[in-house]
Amino acid sequence: MDIFLERLFDGITNGTVYAIMALALVVVFRGTGTINFAQGEMALFTTYIAWWLTTQGVSIWIGALVAAIVGFLLGAVVERTLIRPVRKRNDMATLIVALGLFTGFNALAGLLWNSETKPMDGLFPGGQDDYVGVGGARLYFDALGVWLFVILMIGAVFLLFNRTRLGLNMRAVADNPESAALSGVPTGRILMLGWGLAGTIGSLAGVLVTPLSAQQLSLTTMFPILIYASAAALFGGLDSPIGAVVGGLTIGLLEAMITGYVDFIGGTLPQTAALVVIVAILLFRPTGLFGTRQMERL
Amino acid sequence: MSLLEVTGLTAGYGQARVLHGLDLTVEPGEVVVVLGANGAGKTTTMRALTALIPHGGTVTFDGAPLDGLNPAQIVGRGVSLVPQGRGTFSHLSVLDNLRVGAALRRDTAEIKADIDRWCEVFPILAARSGQEAGTLSGGEQQMLAVARALMSRPKLLLCDEPSLGLAPKIVSELFSTLGDINREQGTALLLVEQNAELALGLASRVYLLEVGRVVASGDAEGFRADESIRRAYLGL
Repeated sequence: MDIFLERLFDGITNGTVYAIMALALVVVFRGTGTINFAQGEMALFTTYIAWWLTTQGVSIWIGALVAAIVGFLLGAVVERTLIRPVRKRNDMATLIVALGLFTGFNALAGLLWNSETKPMDGLFPGGQDDYVGVGGARLYFDALGVWLFVILMIGAVFLLFNRTRLGLNMRAVADNPESAALSGVPTGRILMLGWGLAGTIGSLAGVLVTPLSAQQLSLTTMFPILIYASAAALFGGLDSPIGAVVGGLTIGLLEAMITGYVDFIGGTLPQTAALVVIVAILLFRPTGLFGTRQMERL
Repeated sequence: MSLLEVTGLTAGYGQARVLHGLDLTVEPGEVVVVLGANGAGKTTTMRALTALIPHGGTVTFDGAPLDGLNPAQIVGRGVSLVPQGRGTFSHLSVLDNLRVGAALRRDTAEIKADIDRWCEVFPILAARSGQEAGTLSGGEQQMLAVARALMSRPKLLLCDEPSLGLAPKIVSELFSTLGDINREQGTALLLVEQNAELALGLASRVYLLEVGRVVASGDAEGFRADESIRRAYLGL
């Protein structure tokens, strides 16, 4: 029972991080109609910035804040300067730019901070004794902190989408860009803000997950997370924020349970298992659980 | 001075030029209709005027040029378009559709009052206010599209084939409402239509378009009376 609970906690912790990464992908997809494959590496880059600040004696909370701001600027600038000029031509061009950014940001992080693994401080106390016992299992404070943080973030994003004018404009641009422009919505600025928002969400996901990750901060930290987040976004429906959250938690729990209980998969094949989930979902329900839009753009 | 003054308008898609130097004017508070067959350039004219596609020639509105502005800026100047077909946000509620229509306005209380007003003019919108626009019938969506366009309080409302695909009864209702709006609000209307009979009943002046040029223009009464125009162009 206690082992099951620990796997459950692990699954939820990873799942919440996949959920917000998936949320970042969904925010971009709704506005631009493309999956930003560079989202993970952009987050990796800003996570390095947060880590580097901690090595300069700055608190990780300030580091996370800086990462969030840089993530916003990075997303907005990338949309304005690289995505917008090619987007109107065709979707393959956007995809190629995203792949270029993927390798570019990874290489830049390697160039600036070398490829050695770096241990990173967490936002929450992560000592051996920082846990509460739940049914014989240990629920560590750092995991609990990640849960709370992610719940707050998801709440904030939902409020933004459903209770503010900016969110209404974002939904309008995602739904029908032409009518949005004809209503006076500055569509270009809205797309830029969408990419910025996704950059911020991704950056915070990076800062949250890296200290919990077995491999800490290295050049390959974010890649598996992006794969899981893509799976989560596809599972939930690429244009649905609720789908991203449900998808993220589902993938996180699947990963924890499959690696825990299916011997032959163990610790080495979880990514394959996630990819199998993607393929299965796309076969039987091309728009995902909560999705509405046909994904012909892919 | 005319409200809208278009001189030598050219526009097209890629290499294909559709409009070859079109002139037209709309006076304040006037209802003008542009008639023409499929492919004459009616929709292209509407899209060029609202900067959805680039144009040549000059467009002056309310004494200042519109050339070089983007669609959102043109809305800000007081020109609003009900585009052909679906002009609504299908996954947004009816109420949110109307709110987006007021994207450039900051007068919250007045926006609420306008939403109430258009829900009174189009009672179906009040009844469906929480529903997603995509679940509305074609006629209801067209009414929503008109109300959405009016939420920016335009001085000139452009309508691109508002009758397209709607049942005759709905069309005559919609046209009489457009007439009411013109009389009560003083909003000038520029309509593009294939349904000549209905459009001529509403408009005071007419332009007849053929392959991207104005081939005839005049007041609506004269157009209706002129046998040769009726037979050659209007199919009446």
